[in-house]
Amino acid sequence: MGSRSRLAGFVGAAALALLAAAAHAQNAPPAGTVVDGSLKGKTLTFVSYGGIYQDGQVAALKEFVDKSGVKLLNDGPTEIAKLQAQVESGNVTWDVVDTDDFPPFVHCGKLFQKLDLTKLDISHIPAGQVGECSVPAMNYGTVLMYKNDKYKDNPPKDWKDFFDTTKFPGTRAIDGSGSPIGGLIEQAILADGGSVANMTTADIDKGIAKIKAIGPDTIFWKTGAESQQLAESGEADMIIMWTGRAMTAVKNGAAYTPVWKDWLVVMDQLTIPVGVKDTDASYALINAYLGKKSQEILTEQTSYSPINTESQPKVDASVAAFLTNTPDHAKLGYQQNIKFWVANFATASDKWTALMAGN
Amino acid sequence: MSQTSHTPAAGGDHPRPAGAVQGPQRRPRLAAYPSLLAMPALALLIAAMGYPLLTVTLRSFSDPAWGLQNYFWFFSTPVNVTVLWRTFSIAAWVTIVCVIAAYPYAYLMTAVGPRMRLVLILCVLVPFWVSGVVRTLAWVILLQDSGIINSVIRLLGFDGVKLIRTQTGVVIGMAQVLLPFMILPLYSVMRGIDLRLVQAARSLGARPARAFLQIYLPLSLPGVFAGAIIVFILSLGFYITPALLGGPRSTMLSTLVQSQVLSLLNWGRGGAMGVVLLVATFVLLALAAPLMRQRHKQASRS
Repeated sequence: MGSRSRLAGFVGAAALALLAAAAHAQNAPPAGTVVDGSLKGKTLTFVSYGGIYQDGQVAALKEFVDKSGVKLLNDGPTEIAKLQAQVESGNVTWDVVDTDDFPPFVHCGKLFQKLDLTKLDISHIPAGQVGECSVPAMNYGTVLMYKNDKYKDNPPKDWKDFFDTTKFPGTRAIDGSGSPIGGLIEQAILADGGSVANMTTADIDKGIAKIKAIGPDTIFWKTGAESQQLAESGEADMIIMWTGRAMTAVKNGAAYTPVWKDWLVVMDQLTIPVGVKDTDASYALINAYLGKKSQEILTEQTSYSPINTESQPKVDASVAAFLTNTPDHAKLGYQQNIKFWVANFATASDKWTALMAGN
Repeated sequence: MSQTSHTPAAGGDHPRPAGAVQGPQRRPRLAAYPSLLAMPALALLIAAMGYPLLTVTLRSFSDPAWGLQNYFWFFSTPVNVTVLWRTFSIAAWVTIVCVIAAYPYAYLMTAVGPRMRLVLILCVLVPFWVSGVVRTLAWVILLQDSGIINSVIRLLGFDGVKLIRTQTGVVIGMAQVLLPFMILPLYSVMRGIDLRLVQAARSLGARPARAFLQIYLPLSLPGVFAGAIIVFILSLGFYITPALLGGPRSTMLSTLVQSQVLSLLNWGRGGAMGVVLLVATFVLLALAAPLMRQRHKQASRS
């Protein structure tokens, strides 16, 4: 109940802030605040990837819906092609869209609005995660999971071991769900003895050749569910998995262990499409979503890491083992060169697609 | 309008007394106008197939700029050509497997009593009612390295076989999903074959094999062709089964189209891929058509 009265305080503060804003430059109300009845009679469509993830997001937004009086509709899964069709036809029905890493950077200003950061409180978002057209929706990681009874006393310790098929024989499974995995290509370049300091498109070829050199038995899984199935049935000896799926697989009895060294930092993004009918309502939703309490609910329900640094979700040990924001995990993360991959998105995608198609 | 043209529009010199002919013949019956009866289906086809197809084709020439650049790109990228060829080869294998598996089954359906036939029809139709995704996932469980088939093989003391993520696995899965499309047309043709013709051949001294090859097989060929065309064309567009059962070396063109359109937003390139597949299919069918007609004629003669 204490949190409720604190929230009431927040609301009061927010109202004051809004009044002040009317006179002076605008100031975003603190993340998580919702003005009572502010969106009564309005409808917002929130688009994400379904499953427990979107359920968790909806739960995180429940207070926003209850207080603002907005009617929240859910749609999905996010498909950029569908969004493009909406923007081109001038009939945008998606108000807030959850996307994966790259799209908000690749289509910034064309499909996604450049964000007005005076309307959002980004002070508690982990450093370096706010883009020109996006704020993070949650954090997670891509980790290397190895099969316990295959490697016994001598397990792989890093990505170099992943690419070393002589010292570490066995089948590998790689995330082939869509966009190129920039972080993995960078690690392949590093394992090949190259450098990622000043990458060029020629380096992409080197990285992809290194991945291809793992051999013809490499599995490219298409969906998170498939990666989980591979782990639970013990089909592959090393599997690159999303942390949420890795956690669920281990919970279901998969005897695999994560390698945290240089786990690949990934995140989902929240965006506002170009041409939405009520931009301010979309901002209000995102600002509520970024709140401490909303992020706690999100993590407790989905096991993905919160993007509010003040959040302290209560989770059990099996979930905590796969959270990426715990101090000992956070320091081991590897951040891919987003700028490079966005600038070379088309080239990298073509080469990645060719790899997926066995060429 | 040139005088040599034979289009109706050129017949302006000899106006047809259209009203005079039509007037007295007017009949209110709908059945008199077969084209009218086809209207609902036509309208649906134009709205749901024709229009999107036209858009896709247009975009393949106009996105991002007018010209043939998407087609140049298609044929100058090795992976596209490899995958196009692979798509046709997988479709051909699936068709062959379906013919071999469906032919005896359909024959059995004509040979047994009505109750047994019902059981056989249900065996075909019940899996048909289950979604393709579910059936494909069942195949994953059967075919995977730690799956049922491999467990049994290992139990018998042999080495495991690589089935999943191979072209063989994809062909097995697709053939099972598409089998009803082969069995049903085959059965409907076989049901109409007069078995006394075979008996006549036997009584005239033909051995069973010869009676089958010379009498029964030619009569059943129209069913084989009808089923083969349906299965082949459906195979070309398969997406889910190769994605789940296949590996990189069994990727089909639909997967490449998906990645061009959905992750790269290259509608033009995706469209060009679709058009190439469509045209290649038409060409192939045009080549096969005379062959089939000839066989068909032969069959009806005998």
